[in-house]
Amino acid sequence: MPVVAVSVKRMNQLLHHEYEMDRLVAALEQLGCDVEDTATQALYRCPACETPNDKLEQEPAPKRCDFCGYERDEPFEQFATDRVIRLDLLADRPDLFDSGGISRALKGYMGLEQGLSDFSVSKGDVQVDVDPIMNNTDTYRPFIVCAVVTMPLLDQDSLREIMRLQENLHWGIGRDRKLASIGVYDMAVIKPPIKYSVVDPDKFKFCPLGMPGVQMTPRQILEDHPKGKAYAHLMAPYKKYPILIDSKQLVLSMPPIINSDETKCKLGSTRLFIDVTGISRDAVVNSLNTLVSALAELGGTMETVTMNYPDGPQATPNLEPRNIDVNYSAARKWLGLPFTRDEFMGYLRKMRLNVQLKSGDDYTVSYPAFRTDIRHEVDIFADLAIGFEYPNIEPKLVPTMTIGVPRPEEEISSLVRDAMIGLGFNEVMSLQLQSLERQFGKYGMEPSNEHVIVENPKTIEQKVVRSHMMTGLMETFHKNRRKAMPQWIFELGNVVIIDPEKETGTSEYRHLAFGIIGPDAGYAEARMVLDSILAELNLTGEYTPATHPAFCDGRLAEVTGPDGLCARIGEIHPRVLNNFGLAYPVAYCELRLKQVI
Amino acid sequence: MQTILNETQWNVYQTLLKATDSLSAQELVEKTGIDHPMMAATLMQGEQDGWLTIKEIPREELVPSEDVAALMEQGLPERRVLPLLAEKGKIPMRDLADVAKELDIPIHEIIKFGGPRGWVEKDKGDLAITEAGRAAIDTPDADEKALKFAVEKGSIYLDELANQGIDVERVKMLLNNRNAVAKIKPRTLRLTLITETGRKVLSGDVKVVKERNVLTSDDITSGEWKNIQLRQYDVTLAAEKTAPAKIHPMQKIIQLTRRAFLEMGFSEIVAPQVESAFWDFDALFQPQDHPARDMQDTFYLTRPNEAKLPADDIIERIRQTHENGWTTGSTGWGYKWNIERARQTVLRTHTTASSIRALAQDPNPPRKVFCVGKVFRNEAISYKHLPEFFQVDGIIIDEHASLATLLGTLKEFYRKMGFSKVKFKPSFFPYTEPSAEVFVYMESKQAWIELGGSGVFRPEVTRPFGCNVPVLAWGLGLDRLAMMRYGFKDIRELYWSDLDRIKEVPLCQ
Repeated sequence: MPVVAVSVKRMNQLLHHEYEMDRLVAALEQLGCDVEDTATQALYRCPACETPNDKLEQEPAPKRCDFCGYERDEPFEQFATDRVIRLDLLADRPDLFDSGGISRALKGYMGLEQGLSDFSVSKGDVQVDVDPIMNNTDTYRPFIVCAVVTMPLLDQDSLREIMRLQENLHWGIGRDRKLASIGVYDMAVIKPPIKYSVVDPDKFKFCPLGMPGVQMTPRQILEDHPKGKAYAHLMAPYKKYPILIDSKQLVLSMPPIINSDETKCKLGSTRLFIDVTGISRDAVVNSLNTLVSALAELGGTMETVTMNYPDGPQATPNLEPRNIDVNYSAARKWLGLPFTRDEFMGYLRKMRLNVQLKSGDDYTVSYPAFRTDIRHEVDIFADLAIGFEYPNIEPKLVPTMTIGVPRPEEEISSLVRDAMIGLGFNEVMSLQLQSLERQFGKYGMEPSNEHVIVENPKTIEQKVVRSHMMTGLMETFHKNRRKAMPQWIFELGNVVIIDPEKETGTSEYRHLAFGIIGPDAGYAEARMVLDSILAELNLTGEYTPATHPAFCDGRLAEVTGPDGLCARIGEIHPRVLNNFGLAYPVAYCELRLKQVI
Repeated sequence: MQTILNETQWNVYQTLLKATDSLSAQELVEKTGIDHPMMAATLMQGEQDGWLTIKEIPREELVPSEDVAALMEQGLPERRVLPLLAEKGKIPMRDLADVAKELDIPIHEIIKFGGPRGWVEKDKGDLAITEAGRAAIDTPDADEKALKFAVEKGSIYLDELANQGIDVERVKMLLNNRNAVAKIKPRTLRLTLITETGRKVLSGDVKVVKERNVLTSDDITSGEWKNIQLRQYDVTLAAEKTAPAKIHPMQKIIQLTRRAFLEMGFSEIVAPQVESAFWDFDALFQPQDHPARDMQDTFYLTRPNEAKLPADDIIERIRQTHENGWTTGSTGWGYKWNIERARQTVLRTHTTASSIRALAQDPNPPRKVFCVGKVFRNEAISYKHLPEFFQVDGIIIDEHASLATLLGTLKEFYRKMGFSKVKFKPSFFPYTEPSAEVFVYMESKQAWIELGGSGVFRPEVTRPFGCNVPVLAWGLGLDRLAMMRYGFKDIRELYWSDLDRIKEVPLCQ
């Protein structure tokens, strides 16, 4: 999961305050952020795009730019260090992906600002003409939304934050640029109107980011440029490639792959042009709203851009707050918290929401356009709880009386466990997922039709779910092969068997497996143990001779009886002992105790 | 007054009385046939009683190493090089390696040990033999003679060597730092002499009784025990270590967990490990394109490859809830729900699948249920992660259920598990709102440990199953708890157990 590093110095600048790191960490945690750790970062400047690259202090200096892909043999030069709080990104809260968004939330939590931030957007005159071909299978990337944001002079920090946020939104909303991808440009060099259209991958050239002065065709970029290679798969289905180009034929970018080098934003840029293109309308709109709202928090002022779609013009961004009705009593009941109406409204404002009484217990809550996580009144309840602050919640118990009843397979397992321990057996536990080799091969067994098969395991060790429990005990014996003999061990656990009659296609059983290893381990000893367990459970079984590749001939019995009693008991074949690296005989028994599913 | 002696004491004292001089413990053992530990105990008792005096004389024992006999047979490395050196007079140092290789001896030992003996010396770039070296070819050195004796007898005292006319100081000088050959160990010779008091007592009225370690059945029934003295033990000495057969530490955590919830009035439930995507994800309002559902984290199955789904009306409500929120008051996720994806079989990724099944089965309050079971995540095995682990999931369906009662329930559960300090922080899960992560304070680690997630089920989760009261839910990991509590540093130690390690964990811990 990506991590966002929040600089303590930078955060205090944004908050106009001097909070200690610990205070910020505590506040971020109580806002719901996952604080991974705190660290010192070193900053390195990319010689090509000038964006500062950050690495942990102990990591080597980078030789390749995270942002434009520029690469050289010499490591980049370090120019500063920074104390940071590192947060795991919260997939559902892209508004907390960057310092700007986080500062907005912290201002509310710390009581520095209340209610909705100012998201006013002035009407701008930049136009983007959308070619009808974008909605075509030749190059399907139909949606584009844009904005112009004027920032105070771009410094190191804001430049890096914008680039990072762009990457994080690609991950969080854009599904790695598939649904939506963002471009940010220096408006000073662009001459509107801008055109969103397509080009032939071989009959067009521009200079991609990170390769100043090198003209490449789109196809060459996909083959040779690091960013091109990384995202070439997104272009694979298309005959023509999307391009964003200005009225002087200056290329802005080839979405969703790369920007041009000429239009990149750099230190000292102030007026930024932002586009988001993609195949999901929600994803492009949410990406743009989140990005420009974060820039507003860093001091930016927003202007609309008009997209001339074939079916008419559309101006973005639209940051009009959304409204949802919330019931005061329902909130109190849901949370079990005793707040007054005033406190209720106070907590919501603290969470950077606006609230107005509608009628009776009903209030209208306004939330920013980028809060796409809000789809029900309970989402506002959750903000209320955070505003109340979890450490202030007095934990209570439900007053209702209920009676607890255990499961039968657990009851019988407890009886059997006590008996086995009384007989001197140590309990062991093992994993249910195994390789075919460990479940069948080592025993000379043919894979049956009765075990579950995993489709996509990371390693072959998780290919099947166990349908017998021998392997856990044999591997425990192997692990302890140099210890004093004999060893007596048992395991109580579940096996899963294919059963087409069942809802999920499987039955599940609770099994007892026990094993004895040692110079004198044999059928007779195991038989004594099994008979005593059966006697304790008031069961009698019928023993019949059986054969099985894992067992010695003439030393294996199958046990059957009333109520589905079913067991196997015998001496493990020396070939199997060799396969598990064991030097002494093993007597083994597996008893089905109960059907669980 | 009559003095009662056991047979051993009688035997030792008689031997000492007969002896003309003091006797060492070794000599006493040889003469009486009593073993060393028993002899030591008897002598110590005699000294305490004032019947014996024990004079302690420090000695040094030469103990040859195990392989020394073979080494002596071959000749020490510094000796084996002598004939060649004698023949050539000197060997250039740069050729020494070849010589050593030829003779199959470690090169550095030639100079390291030959030098101090005075057999060889460095002469500019050469190694030369000395007169002493030439003389030594046919004459064993002091330590070689000493080792011969020591090997014959197993070990030998240096004072005994002196009696043989061997230069003990030279032996010490040569062998002091040559542990591969022999060690010189400090020992104490204890010479025992009977005292006047002892003589007086022993010449008086003495009764000798049998002494035994154990009484036989015959001794007890025949009354013979009256003539037997049980040997007295030093009851302060440590015994050999043993441990009872035991429950597995992970299992103990599971059983403690079950007991805690049963005591709190929760009923135990069970649900299949092979689960449909419907119950694992869809019923919990996880959108079908949610990253948690992708192939990265979830084990999908080839066999069985499809699960049966619940009744059509339930399916229809879930579909609408995902697409537009149905009547839950939600906007839904706004995408087209695909029934085929709900039929997919998975290894359940959380026991919350069993909680939602229980809720679907009976949504009527009040209900409290819990489930302990295996859950599966598609991860490679490492010291920190396993692809399967235990979780406890629980739900409370109740008119009075709320965030405050959720935190109270979890706090009470962890108090029962032995953690007095519990804290909560807000969190985000697709199926609960609000949500809380649970941390307990581990005294032994002096740190807060995150153990799981919890929350109030969203109406999008509960309403489709006809449940209209708040439902509290949690899923807490148990493996991590077991590791921390029992001091396992590698999670694999739980499932490929070192039996001794498992037995070391005290039952009370």
